[in-house]
Amino acid sequence: MEQKKVIIDGPQVSVIIPTYNRPTQLGQAIASAVGQTYSNLQIIVVNDGGCDVSDVVKQFSDANIKFIDRPVNRGKAYSLNEAIAEANSKYIAYLDDDDIYYPNHIESLVEALENSDEYQAAYSDLYKTYSRQMPDEKRHVLGKVLEVSRDFDRYFILYFNHVLHVSLMHTKKILEKTGLYNENLRVLIDWDITRRLVFFTDFCHVGKITGEYNTPAGENDRISYLQRKEGGSFAKDFLTIRTSRPAKPWTKLKDLSIILTAQRLDRLAGKTVGSIWKETFYPYKLYIPVCNAQTNGLNTDMPNLVFVPAKEGSSQDEQIDTALGQCEGDFVAIVPADFAIEQMWIEEPLYGLIQNHQKKVAYSLDQTGQKNLPAVFRKDELLASRKKFSNLSAEESISKYGIEVRKLEPKEIPFQFDSLLKEAKEAEQNGCWREASEIYEYIGRQYKNQLWMNALAAQSLYKSGEHTRSLELAGKINRERPTVDTLLLEAKICKEQGDLIRATRLLERAREILNGVYPDGNN
Amino acid sequence: METIENNINSQYPMQHYEVLQELGDCYTCAGNHKVAQDCYEQAAALGPDEAGPYIGLGVIALQNELLDDAESAFKIAIRLDKCSSKAYTGLAMVLQRKGALQQAFDTYLKSLELDCDNLTALLGLFQTSCSIGSFSKVIFYLQTYLSMHPGDISVMFTLAALYLKDGAAEKSEKILQDILALDASNTDAAKLLEEVEHQSASAGKK
Repeated sequence: MEQKKVIIDGPQVSVIIPTYNRPTQLGQAIASAVGQTYSNLQIIVVNDGGCDVSDVVKQFSDANIKFIDRPVNRGKAYSLNEAIAEANSKYIAYLDDDDIYYPNHIESLVEALENSDEYQAAYSDLYKTYSRQMPDEKRHVLGKVLEVSRDFDRYFILYFNHVLHVSLMHTKKILEKTGLYNENLRVLIDWDITRRLVFFTDFCHVGKITGEYNTPAGENDRISYLQRKEGGSFAKDFLTIRTSRPAKPWTKLKDLSIILTAQRLDRLAGKTVGSIWKETFYPYKLYIPVCNAQTNGLNTDMPNLVFVPAKEGSSQDEQIDTALGQCEGDFVAIVPADFAIEQMWIEEPLYGLIQNHQKKVAYSLDQTGQKNLPAVFRKDELLASRKKFSNLSAEESISKYGIEVRKLEPKEIPFQFDSLLKEAKEAEQNGCWREASEIYEYIGRQYKNQLWMNALAAQSLYKSGEHTRSLELAGKINRERPTVDTLLLEAKICKEQGDLIRATRLLERAREILNGVYPDGNN
Repeated sequence: METIENNINSQYPMQHYEVLQELGDCYTCAGNHKVAQDCYEQAAALGPDEAGPYIGLGVIALQNELLDDAESAFKIAIRLDKCSSKAYTGLAMVLQRKGALQQAFDTYLKSLELDCDNLTALLGLFQTSCSIGSFSKVIFYLQTYLSMHPGDISVMFTLAALYLKDGAAEKSEKILQDILALDASNTDAAKLLEEVEHQSASAGKK
């Protein structure tokens, strides 16, 4: 069906569609971009050395389509960068060759970005579409699931991605700060760019379902999926992403400097350095005060490592003072070489410090809280304490200056949303549906993401046998943002209660979505 | 910390199948058999290993007196799910209508073995037992059902009638009194109780 285009005045958006050997699906993807209600578009299709798709692109007589037909395969990141170089729009959006936008996708994101000066990036929600490929290459849709509908969480994105690349739109200008896509990565290139974006902007979460990304049943042919299965290269790329630091100034993140104090750079110190590299996801630089004689045996391949020249046999306090003078972070952690580095070792106390606006507060790294070190400080306060009481040891100067080194309190622990979500999923696995629903509803009240949490709670309530409450919740969600799952749930309960007319109406709506009639009623 | 949403091995949903199956049931209840049949056929294509759509198709055929079509649909359903009480009930109903009462009786029994809470099978078993005169097994299943649904008056009445046919007038009388305690206006129970008391009195005189 031909889309009626709604002409909307607004800035141009470049939609980038990289493609590789998917001629059958590509047409549908391009059609969904061409069929947007937002008209000011430049569509850039990049054939990344795959089979000939020129006939597919030519089907669309849209003058706004630019086709880059490269015979050599150079990877997705290269293709995206190539398209970005051709893009002459204010905004950049992305579409994979087997995914689709709903007609309101671009309009919804542009509206969000244009209506606020706060954001240079926005994202919406997408259905994950499970399909079975038929012999004639047609897809049989098995289900459409809204798996993630998460409000923006900068701290979480530093740890892992929660923004689907196909749902992302950002200004072109911000790439001057973040840099382009990393062409050395084989996997997670989307997380890499999202992670770098959070250094410079908040993201606006548009709580609408504006497209679909495809997951074929059976053997998945997605390049990213196949490459994830290669454990070694995945781990390497994962660490590369987690340690990348765009050029400063960062407008939305404060920098962390870690000072490692060691009498000798021996095997133990080397192990600690390696653990810091593996476990730390907050952006940091590691400063190691070391005398020249010791630098020769060190592996300098590790990113973000700064060797600070120090006198031979210098004390811990001297090492701290030497390194502190070079630290560029807003926060400074002091870590002895024998400190046991575990997951979240620095992120938890650092999160406490970031959230705490009280002056002269630091957080202990070892949770005993009995000593002033090891701990993480605000650099200006630590520096001031050392300057004012330079004759005292670091431990003593911290106390004398009045910095309170605290233990992290339970309420200050980060990722409580994720911990509770995990708890709820575990309760579900153990068949404790009532408990799971209570956790979901609690998360929704305390940590935003209410629609998503209520949808999960409604399912758990149904399974716990509390159908009346489940119906109430599902009905509320369906009035605001219906999904196939919540429509099906409400319909089942209506059917049980004998309200067949309402059940049929809800099921027909769910069937429409599954058959490709988009949520706003267009197809 | 693990991330739940990044699990790339999540299970495939059967949403589309479920929606069509539920729609088929709704349209069947509404008497819109043509649309219901279309829904079940699509559901069968999406869930080729599922018995549900064939049960639905069997029910439609049965309601339209297409007994051979119904029989084959229920048999496919049983082949796909040997534990489907509903499929056995459907097949038993077909057999009952075809006059194969002993086979129907046995198939109802099979259905109740799989789900002793299946009221349709229970009532079918009662009907066929009345025709072939085999009460003991029916009584057992009616008792089992009542232990799960103690206040179900229709099943209580059925059991009272069976007790009476089986010569257990005292048990029948007790149940009928229980029914009247629950629903004093139940005229069927009152009439049967009167009959039981009359029989008992006559037997006492003799």
